[in-house]
Amino acid sequence: MNAPFSAPVPSIATALPALDIRHVSKAFVVDGKAVEVLADISLSVEAGSFVSIVGASGCGKSTLLRLILGLDLDYAGDIHLDGQPVEGPGPERSIVFQEHRLLPWLTVEGNVGAALLHSGLDAAARRRSVAEHLELVGLEAFAKAYPAQLSGGMAQRVAIARALANRPRFLLLDEPLGALDALTRLRLQGELKRIVAHEGATAVLVTHDVDEAVFLGHRIVVLHPRPGRIAAVLEVPEEARADRSSPTFVALRDRVLELLGVSLGEGRAR
Amino acid sequence: MSLAETLDKPAFDTSPRDGAAADTAARRHTRRPGPSRPTALGSVLLGLSFPFALLVVWWWAARLGLVPEQILPAPATIYETVSSLITDGTLATHLEVSTHRVLVGFGLGAVFGLVFGAAAGLSPTVRAFLYPPVQAVARVNVLAWMPLLTLFMGIDEPLKYVVIGWSAAIPIILGTARGIENVSPAFRELGRVLHFNTRDTLRLVVLPGAVPSIFAGLREGLANAWQTLVLAELFASFEGLGYLMTWGRQLFQLDLVIIAMIVVALAGLAMDLALRWVERRAQPWKRETRDVH
Repeated sequence: MNAPFSAPVPSIATALPALDIRHVSKAFVVDGKAVEVLADISLSVEAGSFVSIVGASGCGKSTLLRLILGLDLDYAGDIHLDGQPVEGPGPERSIVFQEHRLLPWLTVEGNVGAALLHSGLDAAARRRSVAEHLELVGLEAFAKAYPAQLSGGMAQRVAIARALANRPRFLLLDEPLGALDALTRLRLQGELKRIVAHEGATAVLVTHDVDEAVFLGHRIVVLHPRPGRIAAVLEVPEEARADRSSPTFVALRDRVLELLGVSLGEGRAR
Repeated sequence: MSLAETLDKPAFDTSPRDGAAADTAARRHTRRPGPSRPTALGSVLLGLSFPFALLVVWWWAARLGLVPEQILPAPATIYETVSSLITDGTLATHLEVSTHRVLVGFGLGAVFGLVFGAAAGLSPTVRAFLYPPVQAVARVNVLAWMPLLTLFMGIDEPLKYVVIGWSAAIPIILGTARGIENVSPAFRELGRVLHFNTRDTLRLVVLPGAVPSIFAGLREGLANAWQTLVLAELFASFEGLGYLMTWGRQLFQLDLVIIAMIVVALAGLAMDLALRWVERRAQPWKRETRDVH
């Protein structure tokens, strides 16, 4: 197993990692037996950087995000955000789920605004933030629409706007584009990259799409399943992030696929 | 009334779609081939066709004298009787008395049902306390309680209010509790992520998610209220539509019985339609599901 990544990534932050995960292990009890889902995960992420976590289904990727969110506090090890231990959900963290999870009874702006109820902003500032973020995802014209009226890709963009509305410093992405068709996914990957860079948030993306991981991440964490453990941490050169057809991109992607145990001779598999 | 329920549209899916079926655009273009749906006017006509056919058969049977007039009065006789009942105000009086009883009884049942149902839905402790007796009572028809209740309450109006309210409350308790219990855990989790307090959670997650089930309970409760009303009035009353039936039966005036039946059915249907209208108003997000893109 590689040592946790610690090489500097260009960043304006101090030496203190924004997100610090130390020796985290997590087990669930299934049928009276403890099943380990995460084993000794250690990872630090600098402020403003984008980390992609890839792994097969069942490697505990989503569980790791739940722990960072503070939805589940029952684990071994430590998770620190800017030096503070995670003690529950907090306004500086937000998440985009795989399903858009928009409340069907609220309009698009109502859904985005729901993230700002306890932001301390007054009504006018909340409205402004909602409008700004809808504009950021290109849906300002749909502010009054209900989720049932939107396509899958549009709904997911609303979910992204909702996650960003409160200007979180940490954006967690749980296979946010996994449910979309291939074309929409490609388009939204570009948008997501632009938006996250624009907001300057520290992002952790969980995905099983290797191309997506390479295209979006500054670093890629490869997890092996059962129990989920870090197999490798790879740095993504700027050249690979910038161009999907560059040799660097292809080489890195192939390396990740290899680490995931996909034999490249049998054609590409996801 | 249960027929109306089964003909109703499928319940609205409040749970978020799972990954596999998320692309709305694809869904719009490849509509699943299925039985074609009649238009609004078409389904109204379709719904009226069976009663109309029955009316025709009835009319012919009476005309040909297949059934003695004392047992099945001709539609024309019914029409005459109804006209006179309307002109002398008898029908209005009976209808008013019955409607009043249903409204008061149903109102009581709705208040109790919503309060206890909400408590049971929100608190597992209350649920554990309330469910076994409610489930047990729900299995005993309220009429079986009437002899006992008459001993305590007499046979006046309060008795009717209580039995009607009782029969209405049971489905309302169950519908409300079930609606609240079944609110999607994914949305509750979302509430935690968005730092909702209890009030936000109730207002934005629990209540709107439970609305369809609450209204299903209210409508079933209303149907129960009308059924119980007729039975209660048959049992102990000197006015009302149920009484009109008993009276008609005793005088062997079957036209009165039939008229009372039809009026009860129409009044129940009208109130059910009113509730459905309120239900639609309460859920604007379901009315506007036309595509805007």
